[in-house]
Amino acid sequence: MNHTLRMNIYKVEGALIRLLGLIERRGFAVTSMNAHADESAQHVEVTVNVHSSGRSVETLTRQIQKLYDVRSVACLTAAETPAVVGESVAC
Amino acid sequence: MSAKGAELVVRALEQQGVEIIFGYPGGAIMPVYDALLNSSIKHILARHEQGAALAADAYARVTGRPAVCMATSGPGATNLVTGIANAFMDSVPLVIITGQVPTTVMGTDAFQEVDVFGITMPIVKHSFIVRRAEDIPKTIALAFQIASEGRPGPVLVDLPKDVTNAVPAITPIYETRRQKRQSPDPEQVEMARELILAAQRPVLYGGGGIPIAGAVDAFRAYAQASGIPVVTTLKGIGSVSTRDENFLGMLGMHGNRAANRAIQESDLLICVGARFDDRATGKLDGFAPKASVIHMDADPSEIGKLRFADAGLLGDLAESLGAMPTGLSIEPWRQWCAERKVEHAWRYDAPGDYIYVPHMLRRLTEEAPDVTIACDVGQHQMWVAQHCHFDRPEQHLTSAGLGTMGYGIPAGIGACLARPGARVVTVSGDGSIMMNIQELATIRRYGLDLKILLVDNSSLGMVRQWQQLFHQERYSEVDLSDNPDFVEVARSFGIPGFRITRRDEVEGAIRRLLETEGPLLAHVCIDPKSNVWPLVPPGQSNDVMMEELSA
Repeated sequence: MNHTLRMNIYKVEGALIRLLGLIERRGFAVTSMNAHADESAQHVEVTVNVHSSGRSVETLTRQIQKLYDVRSVACLTAAETPAVVGESVAC
Repeated sequence: MSAKGAELVVRALEQQGVEIIFGYPGGAIMPVYDALLNSSIKHILARHEQGAALAADAYARVTGRPAVCMATSGPGATNLVTGIANAFMDSVPLVIITGQVPTTVMGTDAFQEVDVFGITMPIVKHSFIVRRAEDIPKTIALAFQIASEGRPGPVLVDLPKDVTNAVPAITPIYETRRQKRQSPDPEQVEMARELILAAQRPVLYGGGGIPIAGAVDAFRAYAQASGIPVVTTLKGIGSVSTRDENFLGMLGMHGNRAANRAIQESDLLICVGARFDDRATGKLDGFAPKASVIHMDADPSEIGKLRFADAGLLGDLAESLGAMPTGLSIEPWRQWCAERKVEHAWRYDAPGDYIYVPHMLRRLTEEAPDVTIACDVGQHQMWVAQHCHFDRPEQHLTSAGLGTMGYGIPAGIGACLARPGARVVTVSGDGSIMMNIQELATIRRYGLDLKILLVDNSSLGMVRQWQQLFHQERYSEVDLSDNPDFVEVARSFGIPGFRITRRDEVEGAIRRLLETEGPLLAHVCIDPKSNVWPLVPPGQSNDVMMEELSA
């Protein structure tokens, strides 16, 4: 099963690698990704396409949301409106 | 005069109410150790960084507050890794401070440089590298906040030496802000209430999240008011007293038969602060196959992770439990469970002269109901979980998720320091004790009143048991018959010890252990062939419980 995850993270040391590490460790393969800093250069928009052989993407999005540096995460699937899972508190 | 970064570290720790740091000094962390000399914070010098981390872990479990361990860069930091993983797996609030080489040489393979930030990324709740002395107070405060809020866990703060040596232009003050605990969703609460009122055979399945959430009293109150039979995970032991009439025992691989049978027969599982761990559930597809599930947890990612939850109550456990209905009509089910409890009650009449460890452990907690047991990992760990009485969860310190051999002695040290004057016994095995035996020196150095009950079967017993049962008795590297003389080892560390080998020596040994002042090691030699029963074979459902073949 393929999914597209769109995340907004703080542009801080280790945030991107922590995010990708979590995705792979939780059993999802990253098939493509794109990341760019927003205009303020304080945040990074990250879009990741992942493949799973059965793990729940809903659980993955909740695990991503727990990361301290993640501001929001949305799972985009075909014909669905993207749903932002939540906002985390800035440090 | 402005303070150096290292002094800001110490002040920030003092501001958090830190009284004890467990650690080991070295080059990169030296400025902080220098600053510690001007602080009232007590430093406990372990003899290996792993010992420091595991002692801090137990200290946090007993006090319920974040504990601190500290080490230098490179090997100091890597030696902490097992302790950090241990805290991560069991959701223990820990703040880990590591020295780092100066920022100017970071990334050059400098002496004692290691990327501890990268190494520990999968086993921390969060981590920081502090690159400016000005950021130290804020970072330390955040580390404590993150470690303790929501689902607790370890947070690492890596401090380059030039940062701790630097004097910031200003001395910033940072006040932490606390997040409010989340309340469960009213719709899910209502759904859970309906499920409970409709259930004929409900079971409360309690885990380590109960004590972490400070919900022990709420859990007990609900168990009593509802009359629902209770089982717990390894980490949930003590959430209701093990003597409580509603308590059926631990579930899972080495669980009590009555607990596993009740789960398998249940039509509703009320999971409170547990995570459907494979050691608890056995084959997941066959776990509680007839049951709906109510899952209460502080961690949103646990709800529905391994088992669909018909109702998911996210947030404060005490609040969730307080909203659940009582006055249930489940007397036939309660009766069935009570009968199973009698039917599968542990027996202590094992034949032979060998010391029967389950009976010895039972007697220990009968003689000393207040005892805190810091357990190591292996067969003895399961015997403790099965046979000891615990009235509170913090009386039972065990490495549950990671299964860290070597946890026992450091955990005992942490418990002694967390609660001075409390009666603490480390139960260890001959394999486990060797993994952190250097911490006997720490016991001696600080005059800790830690008793060690060393159960010696001259082998790696749990591995041997599995090789016997599942590898056709092909024993591979489990023979430890060349162990040292543990009584002599203890004496050489300045700790008295004695040895017993016969069953009729057990009562005297327990008395001696409990009545002697100061540290003491009891070396208990048992039948090398002793096994832990029952056992759910790996990959099987919990209704497949192997029992001892011959009495």
